[in-house]
Amino acid sequence: MNRSLTSPNAALPRLGLPNLGLGVGLRAAHFSHILEHWPAVDWFEAISENFMDSQGRPRYVLDRIAERYPIVLHGVSLSIGSRDPLNLEYLRKLKKLADETAARWISDHLCWTGVAGRNTHDLLPIPLNEESLRHVVARIRAVQEILERPLVLENPSTYVTFADSTMSDWEFLTRMAEEADCGLLLDVNNVYVSSTNHDWDAAEYVRRVPHRRVVQFHLAGHTNCGTHLIDTHDGEVIDPVWALYRLAHELTGGASTLLEWDAKIPAFPVVHAEVLKAKRHMSAALPGFAASPQPRIQKPSTAPAAIPIAGLPLAAPSEAIGQPLHFVPPEVR
Amino acid sequence: MPQSSAQNDSAESQPGVNPRPLDLVERWMQSVITHPAGVAAGIASDAAQAAIPVSPDEVERVVTRSQALDSIERLGVYANAYYARLLECLRDVFPIVARTLGEELFDHFALGYLQKYPSQSYTLCELGARFAQFLDETRPTEPDAAAAEAGLSPDWPRFVVDLARLEWTVGQVYDGPGMENRQGVLADALAAIPPDRWLAARLQLAPCVRLLLFRYPVNDFYTKMRAIDRADDDDPIEDDLAIPRPEETYVALSRRDYVVRRYPLAKPQYALLAAFESGATVEAAIAAAAADCDLSDDELAVALHRWFADWTADQFFLSVAFD
Repeated sequence: MNRSLTSPNAALPRLGLPNLGLGVGLRAAHFSHILEHWPAVDWFEAISENFMDSQGRPRYVLDRIAERYPIVLHGVSLSIGSRDPLNLEYLRKLKKLADETAARWISDHLCWTGVAGRNTHDLLPIPLNEESLRHVVARIRAVQEILERPLVLENPSTYVTFADSTMSDWEFLTRMAEEADCGLLLDVNNVYVSSTNHDWDAAEYVRRVPHRRVVQFHLAGHTNCGTHLIDTHDGEVIDPVWALYRLAHELTGGASTLLEWDAKIPAFPVVHAEVLKAKRHMSAALPGFAASPQPRIQKPSTAPAAIPIAGLPLAAPSEAIGQPLHFVPPEVR
Repeated sequence: MPQSSAQNDSAESQPGVNPRPLDLVERWMQSVITHPAGVAAGIASDAAQAAIPVSPDEVERVVTRSQALDSIERLGVYANAYYARLLECLRDVFPIVARTLGEELFDHFALGYLQKYPSQSYTLCELGARFAQFLDETRPTEPDAAAAEAGLSPDWPRFVVDLARLEWTVGQVYDGPGMENRQGVLADALAAIPPDRWLAARLQLAPCVRLLLFRYPVNDFYTKMRAIDRADDDDPIEDDLAIPRPEETYVALSRRDYVVRRYPLAKPQYALLAAFESGATVEAAIAAAAADCDLSDDELAVALHRWFADWTADQFFLSVAFD
């Protein structure tokens, strides 16, 4: 296996990409506040699919923000792990949007979103084995050729593991990044969620991933369902996730940090204040990860995974939807 | 490292040696988590069985358990989220249809829609593209006798179809091409057209102008529902959800400064603009308006002058062309 670093920038921290500081995920609920107050945020991350076809206010707002702040594009439909062909029209639009907004980089997830022409609009896991690795690495290389820039891939929160997996999550991520010569978006909340759901050690994961390839961090809140965690992006970052962030910050030397808040979205200053907490955790004086053990997860006795409503299984708490995605509501008179 | 504990059979793989093809794993999982009757029914479905023939009892041969959840419960996390996420999106796109029908009935229609027309797009913006069509396709063909007894129009489902069309089109106008950075045809430009060329002119509608013909007065209903939504909690407006009586109505949608505007139209106004939309000349368009008009020729001439003044002020026309 060739593990050489093929990009001239691969030897540099973050592939030579800048540390943009502390950013906030751009959400429609905050458009007016941002345009009115121009808050002192270091950078914004925009969901690519919400803007790549927009010819209305969402794109207008993004363009205004891109004039004043660094922008990073974060996608949810690349479907790098799918066996369906790459969507070249999607990639063409993505590249155009990145060029027009001077996006510092483009990220998406190590996942598949659908197959046989369908899109579930979820970030679904793949078996972690040699066949998947070959497939994903070849696709990343193809995407990077088309986009003419490195792709940055995020570890998603996952809720199943496969019998056909032959390697750990961190081992797959490491080999993928090295062999495809891509960057990593380390979502420390997702590490925490997945490690809890799959009974592995979150700190070990953070210690093992290739730190020089970590271009960006994600932070978010999640929901503890008692038997498992769901990546709901609906609240504050909890202390054990901050502890993981602190560990990741130390090991990588720091990278652009972004807070996601997608459900029960509070006023912009609340979201901004949450990401600013990261400054405290960049101090080595704070306790390490060992002080923040994994959460207690119970074997279920009464909590069902699904409650049938009108003959169909729906999420028990309606807000417990992983990676909530939002349609931008129109403004109308 | 995950270990398979299953015995050899047609569904078995040998991790590291002979894993199942990724394509089959994905087809299997998609079939399982999107099945409307839940994970166990999904595993037993023809689509899932064609990919990986395991029974619900054998599913650990594909998806492993955790300390807290068994394999079916873990798949259930994705199954639960699939419909919940897409239903939430449809409620966002069709908020007034959802409020009018109530949660249970809206979800019933939306779930049927998602099964018949699952998303094939990279963007959720397209998710509701065929919802109004689906409602029309599945509309009862026989009049609803029970509705008639309840004082509703027996073909009230057509009202829901109309309302869905209005809400979908509002979204299309909001995020589609607009006139914010373009100059439409001004009133002065129209006035400067020589009379002998005026009747042969063709006015091209702005890309954000949409013309809608409804069987029910859904625009008024939409206005009323929005007023209820916006009312102060301390001073609420009576929540009148009664479906109105049928009445053919006409509406133009457009956009100014990135905000969607609704323009109720009289029938001749709609006929005039619809004629322009189909590429007719001014002469043909005025003839179409006159055919649907009770006004005298003189009254129509005065009305036309006023309509063109209003529409040019609102940037309804992108350009003027001559043969």
